[in-house]
Amino acid sequence: MEQADSAIRVDGARKVYKTVGKSPGRAAVDGISLEVEQGSIHGLLGPNGAGKTTTLKMLIGLVKPTEGIFEILGEDSTSPKGRRHLGFLPEQPYFPQHITAMQALRFYGRLAGVEKQDLDGRAVELLGKVGLDGTERTELSKFSRGMLQRLGIAQAIIGRPKVVVLDEPASGLDPVGQRDIRNLMLELRENGTTVLLSSHQLSEVEAVCDRVSILNAGKVAAEGHIDELLNISGQTSIRVRGLDELPAAVNALAGDVAVSGSVWVFSVEDSAVRSVVDAVDDAGGAVMSLAPKRESLEDYFARLIASARTGVAS
Amino acid sequence: MSRMLSIARAVIADCVRRRVPYVVVLFAGILAAAIPSLPDYGVGVEPEVFREVALALMYVAALVLSLALAANRLPSEFERRTAYSVLSKQVSRWEYLLGTWLGLTAVVAASVAAFTVVVQAVALISYGDFMWVLWVGTLSIALEMGVIVAAAVAVSTVSGPVVVVVASALILFVGHSRSTLVGGAGATDLSLFYPSLDSFNIMLPVAYGGGVSALMVLSMVMVFAGLSGIALLLGVVLLGKRDL
Repeated sequence: MEQADSAIRVDGARKVYKTVGKSPGRAAVDGISLEVEQGSIHGLLGPNGAGKTTTLKMLIGLVKPTEGIFEILGEDSTSPKGRRHLGFLPEQPYFPQHITAMQALRFYGRLAGVEKQDLDGRAVELLGKVGLDGTERTELSKFSRGMLQRLGIAQAIIGRPKVVVLDEPASGLDPVGQRDIRNLMLELRENGTTVLLSSHQLSEVEAVCDRVSILNAGKVAAEGHIDELLNISGQTSIRVRGLDELPAAVNALAGDVAVSGSVWVFSVEDSAVRSVVDAVDDAGGAVMSLAPKRESLEDYFARLIASARTGVAS
Repeated sequence: MSRMLSIARAVIADCVRRRVPYVVVLFAGILAAAIPSLPDYGVGVEPEVFREVALALMYVAALVLSLALAANRLPSEFERRTAYSVLSKQVSRWEYLLGTWLGLTAVVAASVAAFTVVVQAVALISYGDFMWVLWVGTLSIALEMGVIVAAAVAVSTVSGPVVVVVASALILFVGHSRSTLVGGAGATDLSLFYPSLDSFNIMLPVAYGGGVSALMVLSMVMVFAGLSGIALLLGVVLLGKRDL
């Protein structure tokens, strides 16, 4: 990847928290490097304590790094000037309770550099976009957790940032809210905005991210395109219907068999695909789909973390 | 500068909505209205006693208000992470700190001014005198509270509200104890370097004298600017080093 294409660049990020006594300290982040292409959605995954939030906080200047380079669109993002193209949604955002949604967005809009004459229009537009229409005059003390989350997203994008960092954006949202946020992220990408998404919601990451970095114990455990990480080389997933049971020839070759009604899903070696399709056809079944076999992100994630714990390379 | 003022405005709006200033001013106003009913200290000096007690009430009310607003402002913003949405934008930590101080000081100053208006109304009804000289006391108290708020904000960048209140009380005590704590002359005379708040001691000239000179007002303003500046500088350094 060319550095010029990087919207976000983290190089050798390290954060050591001092401990009492003479011990060398605890490294919460230990040499993490990331590059996020402009106009892409990059997922940051990892178990609790993996270093996701600390990395994000170092990137936006909330935590002082022990070492490392942090850049947004080529500028040092630990300085205020380097954050002028950034929008950030903290995990479980909180706002002063005694102001209205409109006042909150006016405030964050002013800080984000929105022109005074555009503030109200932009605030109303964003409240609509995040599903908070009609709440302009509602005090934030009356907002639910999900509504605060939506407002947090609105304040993150009010300045039309070129880079948006979202820390657990679906937290506290119902399924409709989660879908809305997903669509919003896709819309941002369509408009050329880069999104760095830290999330525990693997389905969300799988649905929207172009690339993911998986962190564990303060290091990058894996990084790549979703397909590269999840596709299982040499295996094809086959979905067929119209069979009460699989033909013996197929049964002998199929693995990971699952059935629902008359629909069967199983995987076979790539080299066996043609013979399996013929066998299904001969038995009166119909092939609905053929696709490279893909591990679920949940399974991949669990396997990666487990192998790191046992010290076995995956 | 505009970002700092935006933060100050937000702090003012939040403080006003919390209704703390109203409660303090109302309570102090009721007490001020009760001053004329105090036992007479001596024939012919009632207005002077009124001014002294009114200034003392104003001072206590302003101090309570300053600490109530400043002690937990930053700690709660860090704990509830409201600061994240501000500092992740193109906002420096010094802008955030100064904006917060400016907003809190403005609220305290406005409350002291409102208190003065109430006291003036009581004075007019009771003694037929507007007692305009009280505004010098108002200025003095507002400036001294500006210093206390700056110190409280600075300490609160690294500690919780209890420590802030204790530290502020200590600063107040030390600030008014120069003559007790620093003695000597010649080589041992450290009074020039002492962070004294004595310039704000205008109770007697306002209550019993003819007011204060322009030089005293200038001295108050300079002490306010100097000590607030030092406290805020310390706060900026401490906040700058802190992980949020």
